[in-house]
Amino acid sequence: MTYNDFRKSVLDTALQLGCDAAETVFIEGDSFRVGILDQEIDSYSVSRKFGIGLRVQVEGRNGYAYTEKLEDPEELCRRALDNARVISSADEHPMQGPQTYAEVTAPEDPVCDMSEREKIELALDAERKALAVDSHVERVASNMLSTGHTTIHITNTLGLNARRSSSFSYSYVSPIVRDGEEVHDSFAFRTGREMLDTASMAEEAVRDGLAQFGAAPVASGSYRILFKNITAVDFFEAFTPMFSADNAQKGLSPLAGREGSAIGSAHVTIYDDPLYPTNPRAFDDEGTPSVTKTVVENGVFRTLLHNLKTAKKAGCTSTSNADRPSAASPVGIAPSNFYMAPGTDDFDAMKKRLGNGLIITEVSGLHAGVNPVTGDFSLLSKGFLVENGEIVRPVEQITIAGSFLKLLSDIEAVGSDLKFTLPGSTMLGMPSILVSSLMVAGK
Amino acid sequence: MIKESSAQLVLEAALSTGGDFAELYMEDTVSNSLMMVNGDVDNATSARVTGAGVRVFSGVRSAYAYTADTSLDALIGAAKAAAAALASDSRMTVVPFRPADYSVAPRIPYATIDNAARIAKMREAHLAAKAYSEEIAQAIVSLADIDKTMFVCNTEGVWASDRRPRMRIAVQAVAAKDGDSQTGSDSPGYARGFEGFELIDPAACGREAARQAVTMLHADECPAGVMPVVIDGGFGGVIFHEACGHSLEATSVSKGNSVFCGKLGTQIAAPCVSAVDDGTMEGEWGSLHIDDEGTPARRNLLIENGILKGYLIDKLGGRRMGMEPTGSSRRQDYTFAPTSRMTNTFICAGKDDPEEMIRTMGDGIFAAYMGGGSVNPLTGEFNFAVREGYLVRDGKIVAPVRGATLIGRGADVLMKIDRVGPRMWMAQGMCGSLSGSIPTNVGQPRIRVSQITVGGKGGTL
Repeated sequence: MTYNDFRKSVLDTALQLGCDAAETVFIEGDSFRVGILDQEIDSYSVSRKFGIGLRVQVEGRNGYAYTEKLEDPEELCRRALDNARVISSADEHPMQGPQTYAEVTAPEDPVCDMSEREKIELALDAERKALAVDSHVERVASNMLSTGHTTIHITNTLGLNARRSSSFSYSYVSPIVRDGEEVHDSFAFRTGREMLDTASMAEEAVRDGLAQFGAAPVASGSYRILFKNITAVDFFEAFTPMFSADNAQKGLSPLAGREGSAIGSAHVTIYDDPLYPTNPRAFDDEGTPSVTKTVVENGVFRTLLHNLKTAKKAGCTSTSNADRPSAASPVGIAPSNFYMAPGTDDFDAMKKRLGNGLIITEVSGLHAGVNPVTGDFSLLSKGFLVENGEIVRPVEQITIAGSFLKLLSDIEAVGSDLKFTLPGSTMLGMPSILVSSLMVAGK
Repeated sequence: MIKESSAQLVLEAALSTGGDFAELYMEDTVSNSLMMVNGDVDNATSARVTGAGVRVFSGVRSAYAYTADTSLDALIGAAKAAAAALASDSRMTVVPFRPADYSVAPRIPYATIDNAARIAKMREAHLAAKAYSEEIAQAIVSLADIDKTMFVCNTEGVWASDRRPRMRIAVQAVAAKDGDSQTGSDSPGYARGFEGFELIDPAACGREAARQAVTMLHADECPAGVMPVVIDGGFGGVIFHEACGHSLEATSVSKGNSVFCGKLGTQIAAPCVSAVDDGTMEGEWGSLHIDDEGTPARRNLLIENGILKGYLIDKLGGRRMGMEPTGSSRRQDYTFAPTSRMTNTFICAGKDDPEEMIRTMGDGIFAAYMGGGSVNPLTGEFNFAVREGYLVRDGKIVAPVRGATLIGRGADVLMKIDRVGPRMWMAQGMCGSLSGSIPTNVGQPRIRVSQITVGGKGGTL
C-alpha cells in the first residue's frame, strides 16, 4: 500500500471501529553520516526511514500504535483501540482541528545540498586541519559529518492536515593531545554554514585540549563559579523536564504552582520561541500553531510548557510545546528553542567579575548526576582556577554540587555570548553565567 | 524473513565494488509500553519496528546502509549504497549459507497477554509503594515488553536467527515533606516472556522504591572529599561497568582510545579482583543466544586475580586488533551498525567479610544503592551517582546521606579495591554507546575502595 492509501484506510477504519477521532503522524527521513580517521573512511552510514503512528480517541482517552509496515490497517487500529480502552486517567486529551500557520523559512544549509564526495572531502579536511594545529596533537579520536532531512505529516479526522520539512547538518572533531604521559581529548562542533570553516572548528578543539595540560583537582570547599556558555547549555538542558506542565501535574517538578513567583535572580530571563530564526517551525507535534513566550521574566516564573492535554487540565491554552520524539512516542512536552536572554558582558569581562573562583568548561554524567524531580545535582567537572580575574591553571577530577533553583537565585551576571546546541525539535541556548557559590569536591 | 536466493542477491550487490565482507541484518520487533501515574493508567502504546541494515567491509573500512523498507529492491538499493562508499579491487564471493536457528520461544509470549494482566502487575507495585509511608507523594509505574525476532546472514556463510523477548517493570517513587522531595526507584527485568513475573514481585519493587525515597527524604547532604567507600553488590557493579568495562570494548581498544590498550597479561586491578562478561546466563536481562553478527554468546573472562585476560570484540574491531570476535557485537535496532558491547558484566565473588569491611574503614561512605554513570574511555575518567548512601564514622553506619557522586579514573580505582565480598548479585540497566541503547546487567559483591573522590554539597568530611 502507498502511504496515502494506508493513511486514509487507517483513519476510516478507526472511525468504523467506534473511535471518536483518529490521527496519524507520518515521519520519513533520510540521513548521511561519514567518519574519517587517518584520512580514510572509517565509518559510513546512509538511511531511509519511515513510520506511521496512530492515535485514536475514545471518550477523551488516547491510545497509540505504531508500525513501519504499511499493511493491515485494521490490526493497527485494533492495537491503538485496545490501548485507549485501558486508560483510566480522567484527564481528557483533545486533538487539534484545522489551523492556519505562519510561513517560516529555515536558514540556508549549504552543506546539506553538497554531493557525498564534497561532504567526505570536508570531513577529510577537518582531520587534516586538526592534525596541523599543534605538534602536541597525537591523532584524532573521532571526526564525523552528518546531514539529513525529515518530513512530518499530521492528519486527523477533525480536519487537521499539517506538513513540515526540515534538514540538519553538523560536524565535529575530537583530537587527542599528548605531552609525555599526559593525555587529553577535547571536542568542537559546527552546524550549517559554519561547517565550511573547518579551520576554526579544528583550532577550537585543539586549543581546548592543550589548555588542559597540567590539570589537577582543587581543595574541596565552596567556590564562586563561572559556567562557560557551552557548558551552561549542557547543564541547563538536563533540567528542562522541570518546565513541563505534564511533570508538574504529576508532582515531578518543583516548579508546580510557582507561576508568578520569583525562582531566579533578576538577571534571569528565559524564552521559549519555536519561531526563532535559526531553527523555526510553524506548529508543534499536535499541529498547534507556534507561540513565542517568556518562561521566566527578570527572575519571575511566568509559565510552564503545555500541550493540549495539560492545558485542558490547567484551564489555559497550549503553549505549542507538544512533542513526539518519534511517531511511535505518545504526545509529550518539550521545549522548542529555549534560551536565556544574554547580558552585556563578554567572557573576558565575566572572568574579571568572577575574581576568585572556578571557570567550568565541561560537566559529565548529566544523565546520572542530575535529578530533575528535585533539582539536585552533583557532577564531574573540568575547568580553570581563576585568581584576581586571571586564569591560574586547569582543573580536573572535581565535582560541583548544588540545587538548580538555588543556582538560578545565585546568578550574579549573564554574559553576552549566547550559544546554542545542535538544532532539532529542541534547541537550547545559554550565555555564560556567573554563580555566587557552589560546593566543590576535589582533594 | 528472507529467501536464501534473495539474500544472495543482496550480499552480491553489497560486494559489487570489491568489499571483502558483507552482512544483512533484519528485524521484526513488537513492543508494548504502559505507564501508571498515581494508580491510573496514563499512557499505553504499541509499536512494530521492521527494517534491515546492510554492512560492507573493505579491510578495516566499513559502510552501513539501513532502510525501513524491506522489499528486495530496497535491500539491494541499500546494499549498493553501502558498496558505493568502499570501492576497492578485491574480489570476494558469497560462501554457501549454514542455516542455524537459535530462537527459543518464550513460555508465555506477550502476544497472548492482554493489557489487563499487565495492569494488574503494575497496580500491585503502585499500591505497595503508596502503602509504604504517608510521605510517598507519587508513584509512577511503567511496564515495557518487547519481542524481537532478528536475522543475520553474511558472505562467510552465517545464516542465523534469534528471538529475544524482554520485559521490565519500573517504579519511581517520590517522597515529599515540608517542600522537600526525594526520589527512589527499582526496575527489575529479564530476557524472558511474561513468565518473568514468576521471578519478580511487583509489590516488593514498589516497597523498595518507596523505602529509598523515604530514606533519602530524611538524609543529610553528603560531605565532599577523598575517603574510603564501601559499595554494595547489585547495581554497585556500575562502578566496574564504567571504570573498566567500556574501556575493554574493541570500539575503544582497537583505535587506541583506551587506557587498557596493550595491557593483556598485565596487572590492571588489585589481586582480589576477577571480572567476567557473560552473555549466556539463562534469561538474564543482558543475555543473548547469538550476538548481532551471528556469533554465539559466550562467557568472556576479562580480569583474573587482577590480570587483564581479554577484551570484548566485534568483527570489525577484531580485524583492527587481529583477534577473534567474542560474541559481543550488539545494536539497539537496525538503525545502528553493531559494535562491541557488554552483556551481563560483573566482578566475581571474593572471600572478604561484608561486615568487617565497614567495621575497619574508619570514616567514609557506604554506597548501598548506585545510580547511573559515564566514562571517558580514553582517559578512564568516570563518574557515578549514589542513589542511597550512608555516612560511616569510625567503622559504624551513622546516618543516611543524599546527593553523592563518586568520581575517579578507572585504572586507579581498580587498583584501590581492597575488599571483595562473598556473594555476587546483579541489577538491570540500559547502556548507551555508539550502537544505541541496549539492555545490560551490572553486578558485583559488596566491595571496598580504599580512596575515592566523593562529591556532595554537605561541606567537608
